[in-house]
Amino acid sequence: MNNKFQSPQQFFRQRRLRLGVVLAVLLVIYFGSVAIVNFQTLTSLAQVPAGLIWLFKNFVPTDRSITYLGPILYQLWRTLIVAVSSTVCASILGLIFAILGAKTTSPTPALRWIIRFGASLLRNIPVVAWAMILLFSFKQSDFTGFLALFFMTLGYLTRAFTETIEDLDGEKLQALQAVGANYFQCVFCGVLPEVASTLTSWVLYMIENNLRDATLVGILTGTGVGFLFNHYFKQFRYDAAGLIVLLIAILVILLELTSTQIRRAIA
Amino acid sequence: MIENSQPGSKPLQPAQPAKRISLLTKPRLILRAVLLALAVITVYSLATLDTANLKFGEAFQSLGANLKSMFLQPSVGQDSWGLLLRALATSVGLAMLTTLLGALFAFFIAVFSARNLAPSWLATSIKAVMAFIRAIPTILWVLIYSVVMGLGANAAVVGLTFHSIAYLVKAYSESIEETSSDTIEALKASGVGFWPIIFQAILPSIIPALLSWTFIRFEINFANAVAVGAAAGADDIGYYLFMASGFYFNFHEVGLIVYLLLGVAIVLEVVSMKLRGHYLKKN
Amino acid sequence: MLKVIQLDKTYGQNKHSLKAVNFTAQPGEVTAIIGPSGAGKTTILRSVNQLIRDDGGQILLDDQDIRQANKAELRKIRHHIGMIFQNYNLISPLTALENVLHGRLGAKSTLAGVFGMYSAAEKAEALSLLKEVGLGEYAYQRCDQLSGGQQQRVGIARALMQHPKMILCDEPIASLDPKSTKIVMDILRKLAQEKQLIILINLHQIDIALDYADHIVGINSGEIVFEGASGDVDDQVLQRIYRQAAQPEQAVTANEQ
Repeated sequence: MNNKFQSPQQFFRQRRLRLGVVLAVLLVIYFGSVAIVNFQTLTSLAQVPAGLIWLFKNFVPTDRSITYLGPILYQLWRTLIVAVSSTVCASILGLIFAILGAKTTSPTPALRWIIRFGASLLRNIPVVAWAMILLFSFKQSDFTGFLALFFMTLGYLTRAFTETIEDLDGEKLQALQAVGANYFQCVFCGVLPEVASTLTSWVLYMIENNLRDATLVGILTGTGVGFLFNHYFKQFRYDAAGLIVLLIAILVILLELTSTQIRRAIA
Repeated sequence: MIENSQPGSKPLQPAQPAKRISLLTKPRLILRAVLLALAVITVYSLATLDTANLKFGEAFQSLGANLKSMFLQPSVGQDSWGLLLRALATSVGLAMLTTLLGALFAFFIAVFSARNLAPSWLATSIKAVMAFIRAIPTILWVLIYSVVMGLGANAAVVGLTFHSIAYLVKAYSESIEETSSDTIEALKASGVGFWPIIFQAILPSIIPALLSWTFIRFEINFANAVAVGAAAGADDIGYYLFMASGFYFNFHEVGLIVYLLLGVAIVLEVVSMKLRGHYLKKN
Repeated sequence: MLKVIQLDKTYGQNKHSLKAVNFTAQPGEVTAIIGPSGAGKTTILRSVNQLIRDDGGQILLDDQDIRQANKAELRKIRHHIGMIFQNYNLISPLTALENVLHGRLGAKSTLAGVFGMYSAAEKAEALSLLKEVGLGEYAYQRCDQLSGGQQQRVGIARALMQHPKMILCDEPIASLDPKSTKIVMDILRKLAQEKQLIILINLHQIDIALDYADHIVGINSGEIVFEGASGDVDDQVLQRIYRQAAQPEQAVTANEQ
């Protein structure tokens, strides 16, 4: 690439050409999407400020909405612990899968591919599909929400854990093998202590994520704080719905701050 | 430490005795405490889970049967291939549109929320607002905008874009903050103004990071587009998925839609690997 | 001519401060600021183009006081002051040619700057400057693929692209090997003589300073303790410049007497 260009003009012409192509592709993607989706860019953008004003007028919790505080806080708590327990259960199973599926610790390659494929499948089934399939079999119960979050989280954590274990320095394992440790000793004394803090970071991240997804799952399966939001929202009790939005935001931010602190402390 | 910083107030402490040999360092201790706390919450949660008097045997059996009809006998159900493929294209379109719009707005906002470019009060307040927007789940933004703008594509796009902007502002501003302030100073020292520095110095340095964040967000937006499809009435694949699974209970069609979505996911995975490979080679 | 008069700078607790600094630097000469680390060399250099805001005094470049300039005027003045750095501070994914052209950005309107619109003449000039510093064949190479010495020469070309009256060099050779050091210092000396530039360099290598500089400014604990021709620097002068700052208070009184 050294002396490819005869003159600066030629070099900049090529640069401009490349920039032009990129911009053209982006424009085509944009207008293509606009056509497919049937989106009115200008009208919609123009409505955004009005939407925000409407939001502030109607969604600001009033004195009346304080009366809803009890049930909201209770459902928020239920949603939080379902998010936590589904993540923790998924992480236990995910860790077993990851140890069996990671290149460095897998007993057989066949198992590795099965686990990989399974995790990818779990991850890519949309949350709507999970929620609806489970709702059909498990009815409107906390357990349905728990399972939906559990399966999705299992897919994500298996992949994340596998990658974390594979990133581990292979020489450390070899050192343990060299002193005569068997497979289980290698895994429990060599691998797990090394990756424990990274894995915990992933678990905390998934808890945050699941709390957010729990709202959607709740709307679909009629459980938790998502159900309550939907309930108030459909009855036009926007102040109560606004209170829920506010509390969810506060809870998510608190959770984010806490897990950042924990991550820093265990790193 | 405290004693030493106040000389004279206390006699000097004798040197610390050799540390007791312990494998429990402070981080390990905190780690154990966190894991214990999570375990306690989990046990409590599982013990008090409302199962609505489920018969688990029957439920899992019915789940198995449904999964079988989904994955082993997929079919288009009451919709047609053309309709489903068009709906799938709509979902991809929604994801692309919201990612592009989000990226465009986010870049300009990120410039004012990067600590090495903007005054710290401005950076802090923008970041706080973005954290708040991010903390509210996408589905709620879409629902809220569907009331303001009416059900349909417009509300879905605006709702999804809102969350994308908040996410990308965080990612972009952190990328900008990673560019060395020395290079920025070098151009400032030659009298270059704010915007030329952004476009001529910072942008070329962070393009790989921006691309990779934007692509990650595109994947998230695709998943979100499917998820909010039912609520927003944007006529995308999420809507058909919702109808098939929650209204017609046609699990064969659900299976087909899941397969279509898996196809898109595989394509995205391949594209992202290619993109990453391309940029790794270049750097 | 650069004239620094009674320049003061305090960082909070009297640390790294400048106390009534006076010196001059002439066009056509290499002026080196030497002194122990922490003496205030960098502070002086960065006050000259106001990257650091000082607390009092005058900085006259061709009789215009830089300290009195407003924001727009300062940008104009800065455009005529080139600067090169210890870590080169180039935009590493861009080519050498583009980095050199960045020297013109300060003279452009915001819009032309944002889009990086350079005239054919500017592009040709950038290429010839790269040839002048011996990097003609590397013009289209990304800067992170160049060696340290080569990157520093790109930095010099970028400074020259500004058509400067003066080039400030902040420890330009601190990260370079002896061979690259010689190349860079030779270029700087040649530039001073041929283009009648003011070259102001911070150095911590005394031998290099004495070899290349015409004029030496010695600084210790924020005060000028020597200013004169490099030929006049003897062991006694060096001892004065590099003496340990024992107690700051004593140093001040000793100098006032």
